Amino acid sequence: MCGILAVLGIADNPQGKRPRIIELSRRLRHRGPDWSGLHHHNNCYLAHERLAIVDPASGDQPLYNEDKTIVVTVNGEIYNHKELRERLKSHEFRTGSDCEVIAHLYEEYGEEFVNMLDGMFSFVLLDTRDNSFIAARDAIGITPLYIGWGLDGSIWFASEMKAISDDCERFMSFLPGHLYSSKLGGLRRWYNPPWFAEQIPSAPYEPLVLRKAFEKAVVKRLMTDVPFGVLLSGGLDSSLVASVASRYLVYSEAAQWGSQLHTFCIGLKGSPDLKAAKEVADYLGTRHHEFHFTVQEGIDALAEVIYHIETYDVTTIRASTPMFLMSRKIRALGVKVVLSGEGSDEIFGGYLYFHKAPNKEEFHQETCRKIKALHLYDCLRANKSTSAWGVEARVPFLDKEFINVAMDIDPEWKMIRPDLGRIEKWILRNAFDDEQNPYLPKHILYRQKEQFSDGVGYSWIDGLKDHANKQVTDAMLANASFVYPENTPTTKEGYYYRTIFERFFPKNAARSTVPGGPSVACSTAKAVEWDAAWSKNLDPSGRAALGVHVAAYDEAKTPAINGPSKKE
Amino acid sequence: MCGILAVLGCSDDSQAKRVRVLELSRRLKHRGPDWSGLYQHGDCYLAHQRLAIVDPASGDQPLYNEDKKIVVTVNGEIYNHEELRRSLPNHKFRTGSDCAVIAHLYEEHGENFVDMLDGIFSFVLLDTRDNSFLVARDAIGITSLYIGWGLDGSVWIASELKGLHDECEHFESFPPGHLYSSKSGCLRRWYNPPWFSEAIPSTPYDPLVLRQAFENAVIKRLMTDVPFGVLLSGGLDSSLVASITSRYLAGTKAAKQWGAQLHSFCVGLEGSPDLKAAREVADYLGTVHHEFHFTVQDGIDAIEDVIYHIETYDVTTIRASTPMFLMSRKIKSLGVKMVISGEGSDEIFGGYLYFHKAPNKEEFYRETCRKIKALHQYDCLRANKATSAWGLEARVPFLDKEFINVAMSIDPEWKMIKPEQKRIEKWILRRAFDDEKQPYLPKHILYRQKEQFSDGVGYSWIDGLKAHADLHVNDKMMLNAAHIFPHNTPTTKEAYYYRMIFERFFPQNSARLSVPGGASVACSTATAVEWDAAWSKNLDPSGRAAIGVHNSAYEKHLVNGNLTSKIIDSMPLTNGVGTPGLTIRS
Repeated sequence: MCGILAVLGIADNPQGKRPRIIELSRRLRHRGPDWSGLHHHNNCYLAHERLAIVDPASGDQPLYNEDKTIVVTVNGEIYNHKELRERLKSHEFRTGSDCEVIAHLYEEYGEEFVNMLDGMFSFVLLDTRDNSFIAARDAIGITPLYIGWGLDGSIWFASEMKAISDDCERFMSFLPGHLYSSKLGGLRRWYNPPWFAEQIPSAPYEPLVLRKAFEKAVVKRLMTDVPFGVLLSGGLDSSLVASVASRYLVYSEAAQWGSQLHTFCIGLKGSPDLKAAKEVADYLGTRHHEFHFTVQEGIDALAEVIYHIETYDVTTIRASTPMFLMSRKIRALGVKVVLSGEGSDEIFGGYLYFHKAPNKEEFHQETCRKIKALHLYDCLRANKSTSAWGVEARVPFLDKEFINVAMDIDPEWKMIRPDLGRIEKWILRNAFDDEQNPYLPKHILYRQKEQFSDGVGYSWIDGLKDHANKQVTDAMLANASFVYPENTPTTKEGYYYRTIFERFFPKNAARSTVPGGPSVACSTAKAVEWDAAWSKNLDPSGRAALGVHVAAYDEAKTPAINGPSKKE
Repeated sequence: MCGILAVLGCSDDSQAKRVRVLELSRRLKHRGPDWSGLYQHGDCYLAHQRLAIVDPASGDQPLYNEDKKIVVTVNGEIYNHEELRRSLPNHKFRTGSDCAVIAHLYEEHGENFVDMLDGIFSFVLLDTRDNSFLVARDAIGITSLYIGWGLDGSVWIASELKGLHDECEHFESFPPGHLYSSKSGCLRRWYNPPWFSEAIPSTPYDPLVLRQAFENAVIKRLMTDVPFGVLLSGGLDSSLVASITSRYLAGTKAAKQWGAQLHSFCVGLEGSPDLKAAREVADYLGTVHHEFHFTVQDGIDAIEDVIYHIETYDVTTIRASTPMFLMSRKIKSLGVKMVISGEGSDEIFGGYLYFHKAPNKEEFYRETCRKIKALHQYDCLRANKATSAWGLEARVPFLDKEFINVAMSIDPEWKMIKPEQKRIEKWILRRAFDDEKQPYLPKHILYRQKEQFSDGVGYSWIDGLKAHADLHVNDKMMLNAAHIFPHNTPTTKEAYYYRMIFERFFPQNSARLSVPGGASVACSTATAVEWDAAWSKNLDPSGRAAIGVHNSAYEKHLVNGNLTSKIIDSMPLTNGVGTPGLTIRS
């Protein structure tokens, strides 16, 4: 990842603003430790902090078109950049950077090119010929982006809130799949896939089509000129990523770093994830790295995590902390890119509460809602916890093509049907159930979900709660709704995180960038209605759904189901 | 390098204090991006930000002795750690880290072990048995260290000022070669080499002894488990470092892991003298050479960052730190974590141009001693902090304890610059590596004259800085300078500009006092300004002012045409006129 910051239309003394822009851009330096660039044109600045992944030698940003009239600062990876370059035969490219293609596409096609990009990206493009600009964010919001407005009429864009929160009167999360055009003066959605309307699709389930689509998604993410690896928790999603990556690694650019795949896992000592990941790593023959952390180390990191992740959402913080710690260790090994398994649970309805989906329509609509909200939760976590240490996370499950394929399948197939031996994400498991050339051993392929925060070790969440209980008194919690009328924290843990968040980001606008509302085990507010009992016991963790889980299975337990047991 | 922070006896063991210590420790994260550790024992905190160079997998800090009674947080490299481990056969070590030996040595020898360490280090050691502690800094001050005192009776120690300046009533630079013991409550010097008294030595010059000593110093610095390289400006010092490193790399553990071909790095404005000179040396040695170009604007944009990191308002240090700071970022982005660098040679051998005017060998020698003693405020500070800003470690073989002893025991008569005998600056060092059969460097490089670092990166760098400062500091501001900054009053707009930035980051009086000042010409100490009556009237901190000296010192003694051209080559700035045959200035 990189960090971008753009300020457009400064009213007063734009030249004098330069040191301030440099200072603000520095707040994003963790995202791009390798070099900084700043382009100044009239009353506009485009700043960039670079993490060099493709073309480390010459791809410093901002990037330009041939005659330097179009300037662009980009955070992202464009996987189809070679193909796009082919199409722009008349254009001469200045660097080997995958992102340079953006300036040239704009020159060729105007504002309508965004959907041609296959990858993850946030960018601001300045057309110095007429001083107009556009800003865009990838389809799902894998890369973060914020937009803000200054009292002087300036518009600000930044990869993270911390770069604009002090200087903007108002700011918000830039909607994924959208484009801001200065000519129109507003946002519009460029991403318009069939599933977006939430209509119920009817394509039959074709295991091989799904498998192919996912393999392609992984393979295109092996585009890198630097060392990389896979985050492997030992669950289904990360294990599939690791399996596919290690299978195709030899054929990729990334093989310049050795054809043995590096895998990484973190947990408290003796945690379920560590055990599960080790098993998968052994099976795949990867070069596996295990990192242990203590509850105290996690607690000591909390303030930093919240500063980086920019949320007070309880589950996100719980899950981000181990990922944040692990990313530092990964970076210390010299690895700059990791593949990660985010998105699968949203696409396939992998969360335990999906057991209670009343029908396929509800099931499908909930998956759509979950995908649309990803940028506020798992995308935000995966991106910012890794970027905090200059590591880039790539998420093949959120490949545009793959989502189209997976969201086109009749949701009847995704429904959890213990009577038919279909556990969560069965269609994905089944797609990779290859007898001749197995991707994973059967018992791993059909292993049940461990919620991330539990997987790192059961005492992690308990430790967090204990710690919060010591810091937050009953009296404090009793006043919570007065102190925090918006998204009022309902637990001491929530209150504790909130106080830390407010210290870093005291503005109203910051508070509003974080989602809230009732949820059970990561469900949307809408899905809470699926079970009358849920609305009475809103625990944000996966554990609350456990009762559901056990109850749902006990009658219909099949031999295929032997996930790690935790039935207390 | 790593970053250390210790708070001792603050009478506060609350969660709030812990969070504050974590927050302060985080300000040193650039020094140790790889991991952090915090050890708390009652109201004592030892924090560590780690850059993993030796034993990346298990050497996380703080480190302990066997029974965990002794805790130590260290920033440094102990080159003789394997030998020291062998001297402690009955101790069981918990990690492979070179610094683990400190806890064990203390256990064995008490407070008097510091001189046994060969390397660069700053550490805080806490003995939990009696809650006493010990702080020490290496002989020359290659690693940075500060000490401060809180109003609550606490003692604070940090690798950089920024780790403690907000919490202490008073703080200062921790003197190099010293030890602070809580039992005695005061600082004492543990480093006591023969040269320290500044008595004039008389050992005759033996080129091979000097060569051997320097080679040893370089070789022991090849101890690493991570990718490394050398900073190569193309001048004598860095070229010698590169030459020896590439010669001895093959047999080392480092080569086995990272390949036997040496990486070398140089920074400059496009077309700068250093880039050209370094390229020439790199070609000769066959290193994998990396050139980084920066623009004056890049440098100016980085100035605030540089001052924040380097923690000084000294003009020459800031000028020279900026290119090094920019280069370090690029080096780190290539995955390199450690570089070997040529600092210290000019101080030990009197390599600065003003040494031409040393009136006699006694003055010459004492000036070198003063320069070495002040290194921690200038070049050591620059080399350490400019690299550490990006999690890169700089190792400086010229400041090897053994090597200094050898070089500083030579009769200084040999170091004197004697154009009539064709002895230019640092002649004894050049001569020591003048090996006809197996040349370390081509002759013309070996005998090439000094390019002041800030000029070497490109002549327009300093001019650009001055022009930029002129835009931000007006004459009225200069008129009031003495009232606003009564201590170390800036005398130029450039200095005033840097000072404003420094004061913004470090507003305390103690911070101001931690930076040296006083009269200087071309990097001389204040005493040496007396060598020439003309100097005291024209105090320019850069090397350029001495060029007149340089010129006049030579003009009458030029004996040999070959030498002439070389001398002129090294002084392209004279009168601002380009020299014929000099390609670097088109």
